[in-house]
Amino acid sequence: MAPDVSLAGTPQRRLFAHFPWHVAFVVLAISAIGIWNLGSASRSAHSPVWISQTWWMGVGAGVALAVTLVDYRAFHRLAWTFYAGVVVLLLLVMVHGRHVMGARRWLSLGPVNFQPSELAKLSVALALASWFAADSEKRKDGYGFFGILLPFGIILLPALLILKQPDLGTALIVMAVGFTQILFAKVRWKTLALLAGIGVVGAVLVYPHLKPYQKKRVETFLDPGADAKGAGYHARQSMIAVGSGQALGKGWAQGTQTNGLFLPEQHTDFIFSVWAEEHGFVGCLLLLALYFALVTSTVDIAGNARDRFGHFLAVGLTGMLFWQVFINVGMVIGVLPVVGVTLPLMSYGGSSVLVIYTAVGLLANIGMRRFVN
Amino acid sequence: MSIIPPSAPGAAQKEFKPRLAWATGIVVLAFVVLLGRLYQLQLVQGEEYKELADENFVKELRIPADRGLMLDRHRRVLVDSRPSYDVMLTPYFCGKQCDEILGRLGTMLQLSSDELERARATLANARRNEPFRAFTVRVDITREELDQYLAQQMDLPGVDVQAVPHRNYRFAGLGGHLIGYMNEVGPEELKRLNVELDDSRSPQGHYLLGDYVGRRGLERRYERDLRGVDGKERVPVDAKGRRKGDAENLIPEDQRVVPSTPGNNLVLSIDWRLQEFAEQTFPGTAGVVLAMDAKTGFLLTLVDRPAPDPNKMSGRITAAELAAIHSDPLQPELFRAIQQHYHPGSTFKSVTSIAALEEGVYKPNTSIFCPGHFSMGAARWRCDKETGHGYVDFEHALGASCDVFFYQAGALLGADNIAKWARKAGLGAPTGFDIAGEIPGVIPDAAWHDKHIPGGYQRGMAVNLSIGQGDVNVTPMQQLVLYGALATGKIWRPQVVLRVEDADGKELKSFGPEVRGTLDIQPSTRKAVMDGLLATVNEPYGTGNFVRLKELKDVPVTVAGKTGTAQVVKLGAKRLRAEQVSYFERDHAWFAAFAPAEDPEIVVVVLNEHAGFGASNAAPTALALIRRYLELKKEDAGQGGPQAAPATAPAATPPPSRSPVAPASPPPARSPVAPAPPAAPEQPAAQEQPKLGARVAPVGRASHGA
Repeated sequence: MAPDVSLAGTPQRRLFAHFPWHVAFVVLAISAIGIWNLGSASRSAHSPVWISQTWWMGVGAGVALAVTLVDYRAFHRLAWTFYAGVVVLLLLVMVHGRHVMGARRWLSLGPVNFQPSELAKLSVALALASWFAADSEKRKDGYGFFGILLPFGIILLPALLILKQPDLGTALIVMAVGFTQILFAKVRWKTLALLAGIGVVGAVLVYPHLKPYQKKRVETFLDPGADAKGAGYHARQSMIAVGSGQALGKGWAQGTQTNGLFLPEQHTDFIFSVWAEEHGFVGCLLLLALYFALVTSTVDIAGNARDRFGHFLAVGLTGMLFWQVFINVGMVIGVLPVVGVTLPLMSYGGSSVLVIYTAVGLLANIGMRRFVN
Repeated sequence: MSIIPPSAPGAAQKEFKPRLAWATGIVVLAFVVLLGRLYQLQLVQGEEYKELADENFVKELRIPADRGLMLDRHRRVLVDSRPSYDVMLTPYFCGKQCDEILGRLGTMLQLSSDELERARATLANARRNEPFRAFTVRVDITREELDQYLAQQMDLPGVDVQAVPHRNYRFAGLGGHLIGYMNEVGPEELKRLNVELDDSRSPQGHYLLGDYVGRRGLERRYERDLRGVDGKERVPVDAKGRRKGDAENLIPEDQRVVPSTPGNNLVLSIDWRLQEFAEQTFPGTAGVVLAMDAKTGFLLTLVDRPAPDPNKMSGRITAAELAAIHSDPLQPELFRAIQQHYHPGSTFKSVTSIAALEEGVYKPNTSIFCPGHFSMGAARWRCDKETGHGYVDFEHALGASCDVFFYQAGALLGADNIAKWARKAGLGAPTGFDIAGEIPGVIPDAAWHDKHIPGGYQRGMAVNLSIGQGDVNVTPMQQLVLYGALATGKIWRPQVVLRVEDADGKELKSFGPEVRGTLDIQPSTRKAVMDGLLATVNEPYGTGNFVRLKELKDVPVTVAGKTGTAQVVKLGAKRLRAEQVSYFERDHAWFAAFAPAEDPEIVVVVLNEHAGFGASNAAPTALALIRRYLELKKEDAGQGGPQAAPATAPAATPPPSRSPVAPASPPPARSPVAPAPPAAPEQPAAQEQPKLGARVAPVGRASHGA
């Protein structure tokens, strides 16, 4: 007989005894740094974005708390409904989306605009977790090529819709989340090699269909000196900002690259360069240490999850946090090409903040219920 | 039944362990890569990047929008913009030297201690809050000062000279009150204006301290239309704020420049040829000349004297000059046409006539004996003509301006009846003219007297009212509307803006004639009044007749009008001539007229403050203006279209290019019978080219002489 795991029957004290306080602490610490940093980055703008960011974080914390109160296993079957809903939203964006700078990424919901592509990250993590929870148990000797075709489809449907918007960055993160989960489902080495081959061929085939600006970015990354004023401008300016921060940084609101308005998108995708310029290597070390602590704690949650669903979900969400941090920081400091990926809890943006907080809520949920019946 | 599926706790954990070890390894590796790169950028190459950053700034410069033009009805440019060189300082780039540099600028530009003090305060504030935003130290420096700056440029880090469009009033002082002027926005006003901008979701950017804003007249009324939308330019500069040579290469074009959008143009109903003529013909020190199209209520001329020079008011006016204007007893800042009221004097007799006829106290054929005075009880009123007019009817009484005829009417009517018909004729309330601050004048009835006069209303007061004295007060604009109503039966809302157009000449808004009411009187009343107004100008006994003989000698036109001489101080034993009393005690001279009487086209009102008799000091201007109006009409008809006369404003600076508004008109051939247009004091040797915006029809000097 199934154990009763409904909320009413759960001893609350035991639940909170296992609440991952360290994760909450790290998240709040990064959030606080993020708001403080936005305060500096938005000084020259007319609207102080750090205020609205604070509101979003408040809402996000509320959502995260609400998410921890419901046993995560409740999301197991809802995963598919959620997935279908997100796909519908993505289709809606293609038809009704708001045009901003040549892309349709936003959906208006009354006074609030949001990006369904952000939700796609969660929906893919949930759907694949749900699929592998049942399926991976049957495949003790790992997945072959055909076994992962369906999971691939689950990833590619939303990813391609997002790519069409176009939003390369978010599409990449959606795929990174899904592939991380697939890897954790134990794929055979031979299959991995085959996939790598397909990946290379695919990239070659897809490249001609990228938008010109996206191609430019890849080219610039491969040869940064080639085009310092055009596509290389962002990368170059952001590296100057980061480098000029030196060991201790220029001090809060003293960044000349920030205040001198040289940095584009400084409060969204390039927020890390503001932090690096004003707080130097020491500041970066602190921030990356916090992210490292966050990611390793959530890896730990994945490892100690009480069931397969929890495990795969935690893996997906951890992947989301990790890849966003790595790709964003890597892009800002010039180890990766420029793609539009936000830095969790540092970049300005309501949709992004809400999704990250929801993910953290789910992770805490999995963590605090690892021993419960 | 629970939606949560069953599962065996901890079942999978063992299986995951090796994969998690791998994952942790990858995460560690990734963070090591990031940290390694940061170490390389910030610690190893940090110095290098620091130097790059120190030479790497973007200065965001505003590209101020060209303010809209003001054009007359024939598209002659009245107000445009010329480049003004403004000195700006960006605190970040002068760093610790800022105070010293400001001091040097003070000497170079001869800043007064006030100006220097203000600049220092702005600097202190900007340093703390917006070190990268340039602020204005001084507007509109001279060529010499510009040369001096250019010579010392290298030693003045953080200082920029920016060419900013500055308002250029081509006919400084002419039409000054109507056109208005601009000056710096105040801190409170700034907040209010910006809130209004936000509320209206205007694409225009916020006002910043140091910006100019339309202060009076049309500049203020149409501020939003005229202003335009500023653009932006992001200029890469080095650590001292100096523009980098390869600016174009550093920032992609689309991120570098956001062009400005020029403001909208106003097309006025004023005919500037008539305006100039009126300005030159009107002899008054202070006063108003108004001319209106009788068929539409649009103004053709608005002279209002004295007026401050808008170029001076919009530029670098010193505190002493400003104080002099404020303390001038002639009050140059007062827009007399709508903001000052006067006794209408005898011009009011037309209103008394209407009241008397409509209320039935007189018949159209009533005749009264004037012995030279009028008595009621113990009081006695003098007629203008001491020897008396003998028997007078309406025609004669209005024409010769007999007071006794109207004294008696006033006594019979009482203040209430006079006030009633004055109000019906549009007096006692603002005319609805476009510009703010219009006063209603005073049309006193019995209740008004009870409230304002010790002792309350007495019948004798109505006797005073009957000839436009006592406490009745009207603005010149109200007089214009009143005589327009006598001419056409329509009470117009006087207007002056015909159209608002965008910089390319596309019409955005257009204004049509607006009737506020009609003057409902019997045809017999209208005829009696009209006969009197015609007699004034055309009968030998008429007060304005000698002027007509002089000004309209060979001009075949019938003018109807009324003179007025409004007492400012109570009469002494004997009426004195203007020269015999001090300026501020002299009478005001009025003349109101319209022509042609059979089918009125133009209504003219002249008020010459403290000038004495209306017939001698106001009527000549009015009649000359009517003559000039007819000449211009003939000229325009002869040429198949109106001509814009050559713009005679001085200061020909190279015009920034902007699309022309109007196509060039054909070259004119000035009518030989017409007198030469009044020459402006300094005619430039060469034909001046049109500046920003509207193209002025080129008028060759050669054809003028031919």
